[in-house]
Amino acid sequence: MNMIEVRNITYVYPGEGKPVLKDLSFCVEKGGCLIVKGDNGAGKTTLFRVLNGLAFPVKGQYFFDGTEITEKWLGVSRNSKLFHKKIGYLFQNPDTMLFCGTVYDEVAFGPRQMGLSDDETDRRTRDCMELFGITDLASKAPYHLSGGQKKRTALAAVTALNPEVLVLDEPFAGLDRKSKELLKEFLKEYHEAGKTLIAAVHDENQCELPAGEVLELQVV
Amino acid sequence: MIPEWMTLTDSRELPEGSSAFAVRTIKSVSAAVGKLRFQQGHEKKYAVPALVKLILLVLFIVFLSLNRSVLIMMAYTAVLLLYLSTWPPADILRILKGCLGVSLLTFVLLVPAMLMNPDGVQSQILLVWKVFLSILMVSIFNHTTQWNHITAALRKLHVPGIFVFTIDITMKYTVALGRFISDLMTSYLIRAVGKDDRRYQSLGGVAGVTFIRGTQMNREMYEAMRCRGFTDDYRGL
Amino acid sequence: MHIPENYLSPSTCGIMSAAMLPVWYHAVKNVQRELPKEKLSLVGVGASFSFLVMMLNVPLIGGTTGHAVGGTLIALLFGPNAACIAVSVALLLQAVIFGDGGILAFGANCFNMAFVLPFAGYYAYRLIVKCFGKGRESSGLHIAAAAAGSYIGLNLAALCAAVEFGIQPLLFTDSLGHALYCPYGLNTAVPAMLIPHLAVAGFVEAAFTAAVYAFVRKVSPDLLFENIRNSSVTKSSHLPVFALAALMIAASPLGLLAEGTAWGEWGADEIAEVVTDGSALGYTPSGLANGWTLRPLMPDYALEGMSETAAYILSAVIGAALLIILFKLLTLALKDKNVRYDS
Repeated sequence: MNMIEVRNITYVYPGEGKPVLKDLSFCVEKGGCLIVKGDNGAGKTTLFRVLNGLAFPVKGQYFFDGTEITEKWLGVSRNSKLFHKKIGYLFQNPDTMLFCGTVYDEVAFGPRQMGLSDDETDRRTRDCMELFGITDLASKAPYHLSGGQKKRTALAAVTALNPEVLVLDEPFAGLDRKSKELLKEFLKEYHEAGKTLIAAVHDENQCELPAGEVLELQVV
Repeated sequence: MIPEWMTLTDSRELPEGSSAFAVRTIKSVSAAVGKLRFQQGHEKKYAVPALVKLILLVLFIVFLSLNRSVLIMMAYTAVLLLYLSTWPPADILRILKGCLGVSLLTFVLLVPAMLMNPDGVQSQILLVWKVFLSILMVSIFNHTTQWNHITAALRKLHVPGIFVFTIDITMKYTVALGRFISDLMTSYLIRAVGKDDRRYQSLGGVAGVTFIRGTQMNREMYEAMRCRGFTDDYRGL
Repeated sequence: MHIPENYLSPSTCGIMSAAMLPVWYHAVKNVQRELPKEKLSLVGVGASFSFLVMMLNVPLIGGTTGHAVGGTLIALLFGPNAACIAVSVALLLQAVIFGDGGILAFGANCFNMAFVLPFAGYYAYRLIVKCFGKGRESSGLHIAAAAAGSYIGLNLAALCAAVEFGIQPLLFTDSLGHALYCPYGLNTAVPAMLIPHLAVAGFVEAAFTAAVYAFVRKVSPDLLFENIRNSSVTKSSHLPVFALAALMIAASPLGLLAEGTAWGEWGADEIAEVVTDGSALGYTPSGLANGWTLRPLMPDYALEGMSETAAYILSAVIGAALLIILFKLLTLALKDKNVRYDS
């Protein structure tokens, strides 16, 4: 079954005539892995915004887990929350993802939202911090961290929601060798657990991802 | 090794909650940033100098405010609308939307006064009309004048350098921090999947982080200025 | 709380702007002394921050939202003097670019939101910390003081705006006794402004200020104004400037009112005559004289007195212009329906 199905979508930024994405179609099945490549300005980030329901194509359809994602459907608060629970999004710039006072609060934000008990929340938070090696940063403020630490905090915060689909915009950019290994290992296991991955990477990092289909975007 | 719960699929019901404030904030901030960016280049090639326009604008507004004659207000309306009608449709729409919105608000605010004192209706209508004309003039001025030309005009009027510099960097920071806020809010929105009992803390976090990011940007900018020879003399800026 | 154009008479606007001049001068002087040199450009950050804060929607009961003004918060973060300049710049941008608040009313808006609000809020905060702190450094107290300060600041600013509105119908009416500007008197304007601010907006402001202040205090206390100000600088008193500003205001429109009543018992229309005829010039400050000398150029036409031919021609022009605009908007609406991408 297809987790994500995109049919002939075209996206134009409001007020601009030239489309960023044009007549794009692809599918990703449940538990699949899609690697998105393309030059700067080819629309990788735009595509990810569409996939996460943050931007809506002017033409074409986008189905997530069998449901068509439209502005109207997401306008219902319940639908939107359910959708965002199932799909996690790591921004290209982790700086703009962190708004809590401590790393712990940042990671715990998702589990708290899901209405988990305090014990459960604490367990998930600690697990995720452990997983990305940020346990000793728990009481630090997110933006006092280095770029790589911020990225790992953002990753922990997204994965604490345990999303079915994980969308990663340049996950390896700005990470050192050790963090890269950590992330590579994590993505492999996460993928093996049956979760769907979609990631934008440059050529040199493609080998860090589980094998998957490649979608090459062209500058329109 | 990933924890065991991560290998499973969560199938619990999510608690209900509203995050309308995040959606609305993203909308209003994006609109404002869009407008500021749009502000960058909308001037005609052979335009009246910004300084002259600015002085004329203030004079026209003062004159309108003092004026009591319906004839003069009609003249204002005729000239402004005639000028506006030569514009491309998209620009007309942009301008009229804002003007009519404000005028409507003024009208609503004045309805009680009209009901209380029916004799005064005429003067209240004139007030709404004046508000419309004033906003129309400001919008036209703003739409046809690049912001950097306005600040240049302020410099010519001998407004202190530090003040003009502040206005200039305010524009820059507002666009940068505005985008930062909408990204943070977006990130909040896609992770706020249930009931947030600590919405005020979250909002405080968004605003607080924005403030901290602003001070960081400021430090970086100051350092960049120092590197290029700035010596704390704001007069020359 | 942004006062739009034409709600206040030009003379009120002039007086409020004149009252702001010493305040701005004082603020610029003090900012340069208070803040270390590398932090001076922080005022720009403050301005953009205060501009953006007004756009943040604050959750209220249910799904409804409101927005904070943030004047006290800016004062707590950047210091009251920097806040005064920062909020003024933000108000300028709003007036010019967004049509939010009038250009003439800029002085009045600054007086309420860039002067009264941050200074009142900040000093209320300081006073509370001083009275209840007793040397202890308690985070909770500071946050509570920030909340209380912002509540007080906002309501004082609202009161000022209400008074500015409320004196308009007393001072400025046409020959028939109808208000020329804001038609609501003090007895309507004050409760209309204050009740919603005391009951709702004040609490929104307080909760928001407390949340942001608590966050910054917890996470980056080194950035708070209390911790970055040049401690070596001796504190200068704000009192003389405040007194000057108050005096300038008291001397003008209220003085006008007082003088009027001293003359005798005026009916509403008689006051109007006093104000509308040329002799009003006698007690307007010199800065306004230019504005007021324009008056004789514009005879006080009522509708019935205007030249019919001119009105007819102007109506025709307005009608034609409106038709063109409507037609153009129509083409826009049609074009929207079939957007072309391949151009």
